[in-house]
Amino acid sequence: MKLGRIVEELKLKVITGSLDVEIKRGCCGDLLSEIMRSCEKDSIWVTIQSHVNIVAVAVVVGIRAIVLCNGHEYSEDTLKKADEEGITLLASDLTPFEVSGRIYMMLKES
Amino acid sequence: MKRLIERIQDLFKDIKVEELMNRNVITITPDKSLLHAKELMRLKRISGIPVVVDNGKLVGIVSIEDIIKALENGYIKDKIEKRMTKDPVVLKLGETLEKIVDKFEKYGFGRFPVVDEDFNLVGIVTKHDILRALLEKLATIHLHDMRKKEILESEVLPDIADRSLLTGEHLNKTKADFIFKIDYNDITLIGVGAAKLKKFLLDRGIPQDIVRRISIATYEAEANVVLHSESDGYIYCFLKDGSIVVRVEDFGKGIENIEIAMKEGYSTAPDEIRDLGFGAGMGLPNMKRFSDKMMIISEKGKGTIVEMNFFLKEESGK
Repeated sequence: MKLGRIVEELKLKVITGSLDVEIKRGCCGDLLSEIMRSCEKDSIWVTIQSHVNIVAVAVVVGIRAIVLCNGHEYSEDTLKKADEEGITLLASDLTPFEVSGRIYMMLKES
Repeated sequence: MKRLIERIQDLFKDIKVEELMNRNVITITPDKSLLHAKELMRLKRISGIPVVVDNGKLVGIVSIEDIIKALENGYIKDKIEKRMTKDPVVLKLGETLEKIVDKFEKYGFGRFPVVDEDFNLVGIVTKHDILRALLEKLATIHLHDMRKKEILESEVLPDIADRSLLTGEHLNKTKADFIFKIDYNDITLIGVGAAKLKKFLLDRGIPQDIVRRISIATYEAEANVVLHSESDGYIYCFLKDGSIVVRVEDFGKGIENIEIAMKEGYSTAPDEIRDLGFGAGMGLPNMKRFSDKMMIISEKGKGTIVEMNFFLKEESGK
């Protein structure tokens, strides 16, 4: 599924990066090691972590986009790094629970 | 052997049988056949088996000599109780090394069962057990000897530094295919080395799935250097025929107990680091999970070396 469809459906804020990205799976969590352990490539990652290290995690795992929830904001470092690495950063005021649930349903039905 | 022991007897003569006996004794009951005993000896590669009854009392011993005799004389199918050596010579709890060595010399047996005051079997002592106990004792004495320290620092460690922990082959780190210096002062730089390594490997045409495993495991190792070592470190990557070796080294405070550190969920990370999503206690377990082989060497105050091997064969994918 194209990332653009998810952004549109959930009215996510686009902070940086392309929406013309194919998303196949999703994952949710705030512990970086857990994400590395269980998240698959071509995923969208739902989290409340906003600091710059999430970009490196996304790179090594093969995550294409990150959704920062609960109205948190990314740091400048994170934006810059995500631009360099080609990771799409999104944000939402919704909770990780709601964002994950809705994306899950979309991916399941697609 | 006796002369050697005499010379260091003053140091060792009060070692008690409890300290050197093997407590995991393979035993057999008297109702079994000698054939059964022979098979047990063959499978366990032992040359004698104490015979015990149900309540643990020692009633005899079957040795390899008994088996040879049985084969020669055609009674290998007889029950053990009929043919075993009854009233075997034993060692009693509390007996000292001096006495034990005397018994070995006097009887020439390869092993002695150890019993408590009620003749219950509690262990067994072979010549090998004695040698092992002596060497262990020697090692602890040497630890207090400064010469040991010199050897550790001048010979052993440089050797580890230039050799693969997994295969023993020589690793010339200055000629590694990929080198990255880890800066421990900046937590935001965690993962930069792993991300660079990922690009490097993809450029070299290494299959994506393997690159993914390597970069995740390397990220964890890199995070550990920054979060825990309190020193800079290096990531080295060597491209070999059939495998890729990643070695992450630091010169910092080391890991006190690797066994505990390997447990999932165990972490020494402070709260402010946990708030960033680190310190889940998953770092070392993830390295193990995503690599095909992993070896870790660390000593408190002397740094940590993690070496991981990733096989290029397709079936190795995890």
